[in-house]
Amino acid sequence: MRVLVGKRAFLVALFTMLFVIPFIANEYQTFVANLILLYVILSLGLNLLIGFAGQLALANAAMYGIGAYGTGLLMKHFGLPYWISAPGGVAIAVISGTLLALPALRLSGIYLALATLAFAQFTFWLMTHWTPVTFGAGGFIPPPVDFSPLPVTQETGIYYLSWLAALVLYVFAKHAMESPIGRAFVAIRDGEVAAQALGIDLLKYKSLAFALSGFYAGVAGALYSGMLGFVGPESFDLLQMVLHKAAVVLGGMGSVIGSLIGGVLLTVLVEVTKEFKFSIEIAFGALLIVFVLFQPHGVIVFVRRLLPGWNERLHYVPPGKETEEDFGAVPETDPEAAPEPGDSPTVPASQPRGGGPV
Amino acid sequence: MTDAALKVRGVSIAFGGVSALDAVDVDFPEGEITGIIGPNGAGKTTLLNVVCGMNPPDAGDVFLEERSITGLKPNRIAALGLRRTFQSSQLFAGMTVLENMMAGLHLMSTTGLVGAVLRSKRMREEEEEMRERALTALDFVGFRHFANRAGDALSFGQQRIIEIARTLIHEPKVVLLDEPAVGLSVNRVAELDALLRRIRDERGVTLVMIEHVIRLVMGVSDRVVVLNSGRKIAEGLPETVRSDPAVAEAYLGHQAEG
Repeated sequence: MRVLVGKRAFLVALFTMLFVIPFIANEYQTFVANLILLYVILSLGLNLLIGFAGQLALANAAMYGIGAYGTGLLMKHFGLPYWISAPGGVAIAVISGTLLALPALRLSGIYLALATLAFAQFTFWLMTHWTPVTFGAGGFIPPPVDFSPLPVTQETGIYYLSWLAALVLYVFAKHAMESPIGRAFVAIRDGEVAAQALGIDLLKYKSLAFALSGFYAGVAGALYSGMLGFVGPESFDLLQMVLHKAAVVLGGMGSVIGSLIGGVLLTVLVEVTKEFKFSIEIAFGALLIVFVLFQPHGVIVFVRRLLPGWNERLHYVPPGKETEEDFGAVPETDPEAAPEPGDSPTVPASQPRGGGPV
Repeated sequence: MTDAALKVRGVSIAFGGVSALDAVDVDFPEGEITGIIGPNGAGKTTLLNVVCGMNPPDAGDVFLEERSITGLKPNRIAALGLRRTFQSSQLFAGMTVLENMMAGLHLMSTTGLVGAVLRSKRMREEEEEMRERALTALDFVGFRHFANRAGDALSFGQQRIIEIARTLIHEPKVVLLDEPAVGLSVNRVAELDALLRRIRDERGVTLVMIEHVIRLVMGVSDRVVVLNSGRKIAEGLPETVRSDPAVAEAYLGHQAEG
């Protein structure tokens, strides 16, 4: 007997569970659940950039930090309320993210990774050393977030704000990727030259991909600043970047629902690793290597294999596999009436092609 | 002779001091198939790259229907009605065949991010229309039954045909084909021949084709242009070009001199 869990049922269950957690769990567990929501947002945003648009950028933790610092510092230095400084922090992250698209127009692959890494290190340096503005290595405590007139504490308020943001940003990502924008991203990822030859504007769509990932990371950062009530540089270092990347790879590159799963799994795994007092660096470095080597398409591949109806548009298809007809059956012409032209031997689709992935 | 849909005037380009094209003038008559032949390194692909905007020329001009497209970016040139294929298969591996075809209609879409995220009515209608057009375009090559296959799950020959269908989907004026017959079996080449004629006759598209399979290029082309070492050395009807001594020399080398 096979138990079928639809994608929608899974989503409803997950978000319902996350909704009730503050009522049934203790303070620490609620904090972890809030982290889950943030990592879902971070993973979704990074996946749009590296999984869909194929831009190997390593500045997501920096964007996350810019969102958190932007929000906290606007509150701290200018006394602005959270409702103004949070969008301000997000805007700064979006602008910085979009600027990163400029090197991406000339660089790709490892060179883009290095350029964005340099940017991330520079941001980190500013956080640590630009003491008059960023308060230096010790970080700072932003003023409390006032949820009045709502009768909720800062923790609960930020939690439900994160919950709402994660839900909305999931739908946002899913819809965007199932539109011509998603096709343009994947086209750029799979063949930049061919994409351009079809009229796809590289400047426009690369900028959009970077702006979107900056937006997601910025939102997560703004929420983080409110959630923790403390902002310091060590939260946005290279390890943080590894965690974001691990969440995307774990869930599945180029899969929106995969990023949701990846964000949840990653946070849980981080907590487990902490529980066993094991080095997070080693654990997630190893996890990344194992996944990249053996299942670069993430756990979503196993889910798709087990459960029909979990296929998405525009996902990685392992070569030699047909996609299921799950998004609108195409009326077939009679296969006999429209045979494959030619009587030369053709390669059946199920047969692995030569020169597959190495 | 009909008017030229595409005109190349005095195009020169050099890479690192090595001249790849040297003052090349070619007219590509509207609604005809023009074959470009020449030995390896003659500058054939470079010419296509210049025309489609990938390599802006050092000198000279390219006109698409009397309008200069010199120096425009490839996506702008595509928007003006020029499409191309590449020597290697360029279907997007992460998309189905249908989605690949719809990507060819990218410029038809008028929805932005907001419309996409809100799934606006216009966006859904446009997507439906693109889907229909993509399926119709697959019908043209008889490949509708491949619509939901992964782009890279098809044989090489099938991928080439789908790529050609993808160039046609947005009603282009000119299509450049870079060695469409490479790696195809003899039977497939015959089908390609028929398909190219149908594209010319039924769709009225001006075709420019680089090809090494001489039987195909001499059979299907209305005119043939011969390049050698970045220069045009002959052009005209296939039979004229075939008997041109300069062409034989380019392919076979100099006869014993003196």
